[in-house]
Amino acid sequence: MKHALLCCNGMDKALGGLAREVTLRCAEATGSEIICPVLLNNAPARYRQSLDTLPLVVIDGCATRCATKLATQAGARIERKLLVADEVKGAAVAPEKTLSPGPVGLELARQLAEALARELLAVGAEPAAEPATAPGFETPTDFLTVTHDKYIFRIPSAGYLFNENDCWVQVSGTRARVGVSDYVQQKLTDIIYYEPPKVGAVVEQFGEVGAIESTKAVLEVISPVSGVVVAVNPLLADSPGLVNEEPYTGGWIAELEITDLDSDAELLIDGAAYAAIVKKKAAEDSK
Amino acid sequence: MAENTFMGVSREKIPWYPTIDYAKCDFCMECDKFCPHKVFERREGTPGLVVANPTNCVVFCRACSKACGPDAISFPNKTEITALIKRIREEEAAP
Repeated sequence: MKHALLCCNGMDKALGGLAREVTLRCAEATGSEIICPVLLNNAPARYRQSLDTLPLVVIDGCATRCATKLATQAGARIERKLLVADEVKGAAVAPEKTLSPGPVGLELARQLAEALARELLAVGAEPAAEPATAPGFETPTDFLTVTHDKYIFRIPSAGYLFNENDCWVQVSGTRARVGVSDYVQQKLTDIIYYEPPKVGAVVEQFGEVGAIESTKAVLEVISPVSGVVVAVNPLLADSPGLVNEEPYTGGWIAELEITDLDSDAELLIDGAAYAAIVKKKAAEDSK
Repeated sequence: MAENTFMGVSREKIPWYPTIDYAKCDFCMECDKFCPHKVFERREGTPGLVVANPTNCVVFCRACSKACGPDAISFPNKTEITALIKRIREEEAAP
């Protein structure tokens, strides 16, 4: 399937050179349209139609994420992101640090472009598999509220446990569903991208279980429990704003098969205790 | 109990804070611009940025490192810190 590819400019960094190589190769392999970041910044109308009609893939070199910021400024919805810096960290051999990629960098770019192209060409080719979600996660009906200035933060009074990092867990049998609290979604404001964890990944308590990104920041979702990721929320790829709208239900982040709830529970708190934490955090925010 | 705590443990006892690799840092200050907790401080002279308030750092938060273009910020191992917190809680709960 044809996509729009937006790459960072990255002319002054080795990672930028790699991002450019990945983008060019992926565009050739998929017949996708390249969005020039400089032109998008100077004359966004030039790409309005493409951004409205083609799914957008953003390829950033480094964590400054210039291309992501440009896409956000242009009001475009990001379908898929690639951060080359993360891929380099996981690579067997480190690429050269030269602005123009050397042989190792070019080989890495080729591999990344091929993998991305395969993924993009598969979009729409097969129906997505139904997520292996488990029933039994009840919708909360009773909420505690913390009011601070014009803000009202809701916290389920029962059925949820929290860590002090503003993430919740709901347990059903050996399954746990995790997500982020109303407080943190309001603090982040509009969530524009959801980076799911890999299904099958083993997560420690307080380990990363995906990330969400708003116009303000990238938030690592800090897992309240240890376990194995068995499902990710299939709706968030198209509608990351569900985290804003329904943080405790439809905006769940991932489901885990839990491995050591008794031990994890030592460092979890109930809704009432979390409400006290939110009250304190909200007061500090306004200092 | 100290005012600044994490899971009931004094924040002073939890060595969770960023370390800047000055060989990589380009002093773009993205981390300082991002962090609302004033963990970093800009200084005249060299280095132009330091971790001035490490205990202001939110335990297990690594958001500043996600904003760091040159990947110059690192954090301790989460599993080790979790084990340390549990150990301190047990020791402090013991009669």
